[in-house]
Amino acid sequence: MSTRILQRVLIYTLLLLGSATFLMPLLLMIATGLKPIEQTMSVPPTWIPYRLYVQKDGVLIEIKQADVNRYPAVSIIKKPAPRWGNYVEAIKAMKLFPRYLSNTVILCVLTVVGTVLSSSLAAYGFSRIEWRGRNSLFVLALATMMVPFPVTMVPLYSLFRWLGWIGTLKPLWVGSFFAGAFNVFLLRQFFMTLPKDLSEAARIDGCSEFRIFWQIVLPLCRPALMVVALFQFMYTWNDFMGPLIYLTNQKDFTLALGLQFFQSQLGGTEWHYLMAASTLVALPIIVLFFFTQRTFIEGISMTGIKG
Amino acid sequence: MTRGERRNLRLGLAFVSPWIVGFLAFTLFPVAASMYYSFCDYDVLTKPIWVGALNYRDMLTDGVFWKSLYNTFYFAAWALPLGLIIALFIAVLLNQSVKGRSVFRAIFFLPSLIPVVAASMAWLWILNGNFGVLNHLLELCHIKGPQWLADPIWTKPSIVLLALWGCGNTVVIYLAALQDVPRSLYESAEIDGATAWVKFRHITIPMISPVIYFNLIMGIIGSLQVFAQVYILFAGGGGPERSALFYTVYLYQNAFEYHQMGYACAMAWVLFLIILSLTLVATRSTRKLIYYAGE
Amino acid sequence: MCGCAHKEPDRTADGRVIVRYWEKWTGFEDDAMQAVVDDFNRSQNRIFVEKLAISMVDRKVMLATAGGDPPDIAGLWSSNVPDFAEKGALTPLNKMIERAGIKASDYLPVYWEQCRYRGFVWALPSTPTSLGLHWNKKLFRDAGLDPERPPRSLEELDAMADQLTIVEINRGGKMVRVRYPELTEAEKRDRNFTLVQAGHLPQEPGWWITMWGYWFGGQLWDGDRKITAGTPENTAALAWIRQTTEKLGVNNVRSFGASFGNFASPQSSFLAGKVAMVLQGVWMYNFIDKYAPQLEWGAAPFPAKDPVRFPLVTLAECDVLAIPKGARHPKEAFEFIRYVNTQGPMEKVCLGQRKFSPLVKVSDEFVRNHPNPYIKTFIELAKSPNAVYVPRLSVWGEYNDELRSGIDQILALSATPEQVLSEVQRRMQWKFDRVLRRWDAVKDERIKEWSEYDAR
Repeated sequence: MSTRILQRVLIYTLLLLGSATFLMPLLLMIATGLKPIEQTMSVPPTWIPYRLYVQKDGVLIEIKQADVNRYPAVSIIKKPAPRWGNYVEAIKAMKLFPRYLSNTVILCVLTVVGTVLSSSLAAYGFSRIEWRGRNSLFVLALATMMVPFPVTMVPLYSLFRWLGWIGTLKPLWVGSFFAGAFNVFLLRQFFMTLPKDLSEAARIDGCSEFRIFWQIVLPLCRPALMVVALFQFMYTWNDFMGPLIYLTNQKDFTLALGLQFFQSQLGGTEWHYLMAASTLVALPIIVLFFFTQRTFIEGISMTGIKG
Repeated sequence: MTRGERRNLRLGLAFVSPWIVGFLAFTLFPVAASMYYSFCDYDVLTKPIWVGALNYRDMLTDGVFWKSLYNTFYFAAWALPLGLIIALFIAVLLNQSVKGRSVFRAIFFLPSLIPVVAASMAWLWILNGNFGVLNHLLELCHIKGPQWLADPIWTKPSIVLLALWGCGNTVVIYLAALQDVPRSLYESAEIDGATAWVKFRHITIPMISPVIYFNLIMGIIGSLQVFAQVYILFAGGGGPERSALFYTVYLYQNAFEYHQMGYACAMAWVLFLIILSLTLVATRSTRKLIYYAGE
Repeated sequence: MCGCAHKEPDRTADGRVIVRYWEKWTGFEDDAMQAVVDDFNRSQNRIFVEKLAISMVDRKVMLATAGGDPPDIAGLWSSNVPDFAEKGALTPLNKMIERAGIKASDYLPVYWEQCRYRGFVWALPSTPTSLGLHWNKKLFRDAGLDPERPPRSLEELDAMADQLTIVEINRGGKMVRVRYPELTEAEKRDRNFTLVQAGHLPQEPGWWITMWGYWFGGQLWDGDRKITAGTPENTAALAWIRQTTEKLGVNNVRSFGASFGNFASPQSSFLAGKVAMVLQGVWMYNFIDKYAPQLEWGAAPFPAKDPVRFPLVTLAECDVLAIPKGARHPKEAFEFIRYVNTQGPMEKVCLGQRKFSPLVKVSDEFVRNHPNPYIKTFIELAKSPNAVYVPRLSVWGEYNDELRSGIDQILALSATPEQVLSEVQRRMQWKFDRVLRRWDAVKDERIKEWSEYDAR
């Protein structure tokens, strides 16, 4: 019996330690974003942002870090004091933050719509209709997943340049309307789990194929579609290399690129602003995750198991 | 073909048409063009000039090319096995009926979701040799932490750390696979007096072997293409003495900084070949080890 | 405002053509140019210049030009001109300059030359610079040196640097501060001290660390098709760089360097009095004025190894204004560039940035009213026959990177100058040959295109 308890204790200890390790960088990012600049670079590091006070005639007066030596150590009171103002200052320092945000949101909406629509159409074609050459073409689609992005990067850049799309947001969303192999694969597996009779019955009733797709099959696959939508949203929000290559005008930048641009401009790095800005960029994803946890996890599991 | 078959063919192609157009424009054309460019001298502002296999020959004598290849392999050799093992370990822990499993799982998964840019900024601060938290913690254990980002010896391990921190999605896949293993197998083993280790080695591993294989392949493909973290942590320059110049970063530099697009395309094809061969090797060598429950 | 065709609006509300101008400056340097931009916008009602401060402006302009959507005016560095021009990323200004009556003789030769490449003019100067030795008079005095007498040769500089280097060392259980010449041979060998003050460090500030060869009479290319990295002069320069770090100890120098704050702050090495002598540009005066007004300082030419053969060596570069290829309004862009290059506005922006003027014709008040007490020294240096600039190569960027990477190794004492330079020579000749091959293949076409270009 006691070995079981020991086992349990061990497991929980390991999990707690592990969680703390994994969580710490995020917490540090948030905490550092709330500190004044001196406290971001102090040695030893401060964990919680604070203000220093001394008592003078019964009133607490704030003193600066530099003046600490003027007062006896015992009289100094340290109080936790997060600098919420950093967020406002960081947004101001980034200048085009609202623009970055709107660009990113627009892109996310466009890519999610494009992906869900085109991938479901293609997945339907690859699974719910029997036609000659279907499976070979699908294998071809799978094979394209193996092609690493760097191989197509330069010609795509050339293509977009020829079209005059460099310097606009187009290269980042037009592609999503053309059914990426990964999502097609995911949705196809899901579509295949629906019984064939469902479609057959509708066809006998005289339904057009598109109606079967739109009114019967799609609504049944809402969870899978949610997964695709979520993944695409997250991918677009986090995408860095795409914006780096295709966006040349600062006003077009997404949050990811804008954040990196901000960091490269800071020179003598202003960590508090940088961390505050990073938190802002990561926050929507974290929030989204908490509301859609189950879908995310199911989605990841689906890719692993069926893959 | 019967009329029904013809109808189905038309419909099938119609539904699949977005993919077909995308394939032609965004995959087939670029792949072919990229192959062509790799035999050219191409700076995007002017026409490509045919130079034959010159780019490939140049790669052989380009010391920086080999360095970037070495850096990338070094990283993958550490990050991949460590990542697979640690992720499996965490998944196994989570698979024990623990209270609050979903909370723990969320915590482990979250770092892999965070935008790479934001995460890199956080680690840029954590890994700072002078005031970074990591060195402070090491100091509490009486170890003098190195200049993670400034010392050529420690730059790659820094990236490995970052990669391991983001192993959450691997954990989730493992966990799903672990939960699929029928409990009855474990129960009958326990009746036979099997220890935890025996159960793990002879039941768990074989039953989840397809998923281990999947994670391995994904890991190979992913680790050889690491870009954003390295680009941001080392300001696009490759770090001290180019110790953190990874393959894709050097590729990007050749394409968009030196404007040697032909050379960049050649590098891309070499990468493709490497990934294909490694995938093939991994598949062949593990074929006997994978046990498909349905067979 | 959808993600669709997202090109910027072309005209202001009152019908003026908007000229987009990307510039590198921030702070007071930016303000100085903005004042001239405002003057220009006020002086006429056809054109409105819109300036944006962009970091890594050269890279961004190249990306935008390659992508087909560049700004109308690019505020680049003179060292960018060969690279951009050869890649066809700039518009040739010859015909427009001729029409505007601008001549080579209007400018100090060293700056005019840097705006030309392969026989065409690609840009016009905006603000010039030259580099000189800055020294801390108080530290000189403390070290027993004449504060009004800067070193006149490199050897003298090294000797003075020794005297000006102070370390903290443990002697008999007590931490004492001594000057470097006062150390015993054993103490020098062990290098078991902490650097407190340095006389001169070739790697501070490190912006021109790849160019010390010029002070040794070396050249980095032969002016035609050969890279000349591994010459004896360049090797001597790298050996000199290595010498200081070797003497003081790699780790000591590293930790010392880690204690330097941001350049634009009172903690910067020279401003905080941590380094007594430094190679810096004409703008240094501003930073002293702003962050260390109590500093007693002087400026003089930075001495060469052989000051008799090579007097008044300096690196003279300038910021330039160029028109990227594919700019929407080249004609209007040139009007602004020309405006900046007339005496009044030019003196205004140069005075605002506390630099001197690249024009030959300078008003007396300009020099008289200039706040930098040593402005005449910098002007003299810019006119010197030994005023050099970085090699006018399209691959200079990579060449510089390679040299830097090699010098990193030298400073880590992990390679010798010969090793580093032979590696750089090999790599750069390969890269250079590659680029020359491309040029040979396209040059007839390009030269024809450039000769015919005119923006009317």
